[in-house]
Amino acid sequence: MAAVGASLTFGAVKIPLHEVIDVIFGGNSSGPSAKIIELLRLPRTVEAIVVGAALGVAGALLQGSLGNPLASPDVIGVTSGAGFGAMLIILLYPDSIQLLAVSALFFGLLAAGLVFLVSFTGRTGGGISRVILAGIAIASLFSAATAAMMAAYPDRVPSGIFFLVGGLTSTGWNNLEQIWPYFAFGAVLTCFLIRPLDRLTLGDDVAASLGSRPRMIRLAAALAAAVLASAAAAIAGLLAFLGLVVPHVVRMIGGTNRHTFVIPVSALGGATLLVAADTLARTVRAPIEMPVGPFLVLLGVPLFLWLLRKAV
Amino acid sequence: MKLSIAPEPKNGLSATLIATVIAVALVAVSFAGLADSASAAPPKRVVALTPFAANTMADLGVLPKAVGQVLNTSDERSSFNPKIDAGIRRGKIRVLTLTHPNGPNLEQLAQMRTDFVFSSSQWSKGTPAMKSLGIKVQQADPLSLGQTWSQIKSIAGKLGKARVGIRLVNQKRAQVAKSTQNIRSRPRVMVILGVGRTPFTFLDSSWGGKLVKAAGGTLLTGGASADGGFARISDEVVIAEQPDIIIAVPHAETKNIDEAIKYLENNPAWGNTPAADNDRIYVSTDNSLLQADGNPAKVINRVRSQYLKNR
Repeated sequence: MAAVGASLTFGAVKIPLHEVIDVIFGGNSSGPSAKIIELLRLPRTVEAIVVGAALGVAGALLQGSLGNPLASPDVIGVTSGAGFGAMLIILLYPDSIQLLAVSALFFGLLAAGLVFLVSFTGRTGGGISRVILAGIAIASLFSAATAAMMAAYPDRVPSGIFFLVGGLTSTGWNNLEQIWPYFAFGAVLTCFLIRPLDRLTLGDDVAASLGSRPRMIRLAAALAAAVLASAAAAIAGLLAFLGLVVPHVVRMIGGTNRHTFVIPVSALGGATLLVAADTLARTVRAPIEMPVGPFLVLLGVPLFLWLLRKAV
Repeated sequence: MKLSIAPEPKNGLSATLIATVIAVALVAVSFAGLADSASAAPPKRVVALTPFAANTMADLGVLPKAVGQVLNTSDERSSFNPKIDAGIRRGKIRVLTLTHPNGPNLEQLAQMRTDFVFSSSQWSKGTPAMKSLGIKVQQADPLSLGQTWSQIKSIAGKLGKARVGIRLVNQKRAQVAKSTQNIRSRPRVMVILGVGRTPFTFLDSSWGGKLVKAAGGTLLTGGASADGGFARISDEVVIAEQPDIIIAVPHAETKNIDEAIKYLENNPAWGNTPAADNDRIYVSTDNSLLQADGNPAKVINRVRSQYLKNR
């Protein structure tokens, strides 16, 4: 709540707290302050909450289903695919910039789809190492393609750096209007996966004896993570750190691996961290808006290292 | 033989009546159109994000409420004309810092109650958000002389100064025609954008490339092509092309310009060219070859007198 309040109150333009409250709750919708809060800060805060939650949950799903503490949306190629999709529009079709979010989403899902195709088909499909290796290969493919485009259109690269480093921009409700169904799908699928994932932590054999199908659970979890991470990347660029670190922080704080705790709290933790980092990114050098990626790392890494030390 | 396919009127009076009705209708429609355009009042609070838009507005007698200046650009590299600079000094024109990807800070635009922005494709990512704030946006960053004339007229039309715009275009066209007269020689010129220590050649499609050609230079591009106006080239290409003149345009932060200039002037890779042999490597430190500033004749004159020396 404090993070949300700060996000709505602080920015390039000073708006007193009572005016913010008046606009949000009092229905005062006239004047530039109201426009700034309703059309710029409020959508951006909601975006930060949704994206942060999505990335936190995506990381928790992947770490839980693959049983690998290094699993994150990067592993299934989503981040690289989304980066390629966004840079394709920025560098090759800058006049169609409104397609950026859709392109990032499409190529993020395409990359994840290619990883699933390679790693989940065949007799030995669904193995954890196969998923990770396929993810690395597909991610490298898209990263190389992105680098090639950047070399071919060097004068347009500065426009894309912000996306590659990760950052929210004030674009009103446009992005969320386009992308919300994907967040909704990922969230609903996640709700159905919480208990099966807990069974999976007991081992594939035990999970199977309890009536679960480990390969299907992994596939469904990877699908939900891919959709959530692609949708998040479509809006906020490449923010890989959240998906990797937030679930670990939540497990260390809560002292449990149960997904009934880890997944919802990862959503909350991811949302809080991103809202706080974005507020800093917007205000530290106002009116210049910095990319949020470095601030996420600044806030998250010390906490993570401290918790890691305590755990060891 | 009858040439007209229209049916013969029964009498001359009917034909006259029909013609009169049509004429009155046409005139009425024309006036309606004029009334519509007259009633669309010109915007009052205009922000110009490009030097071209800002300077054109000043030439039209309308000052913007704010202008855009890319981060880390100082006054020495400013492309604004004296009227804009004076407005900035007196505090009548605000300067908005432009950064990727949106360009200006949108909260500041909203706070200023902006109703119109002249922007550039560089800042296109911010356009949807500006529109959602109720701000009208128009591109005003030409890449050729032809685009310059059409965009001056367009800006003038938007500001309710259509006739002034036409006069301004004619005036600037005459200035450009004068600046391109009596070209005594056409040296081989390579224009290079120095980004850090990586050279990018200006292509035919770039603003600077077009102006150098208009000034009489034979633009060398090493065979490179790209949509964006610049292409990364190796120093080998620079040597292979054997340019008579190299114009280097450093793309560095203002505080690093001196170091960039020193590197470009003394680039060892360019030593084996006629340009180096004849001491004709120049560094252009303002932005006039990178981006239109509304005064192409002045830039062409400068290129001819300082670099090409072909008057």
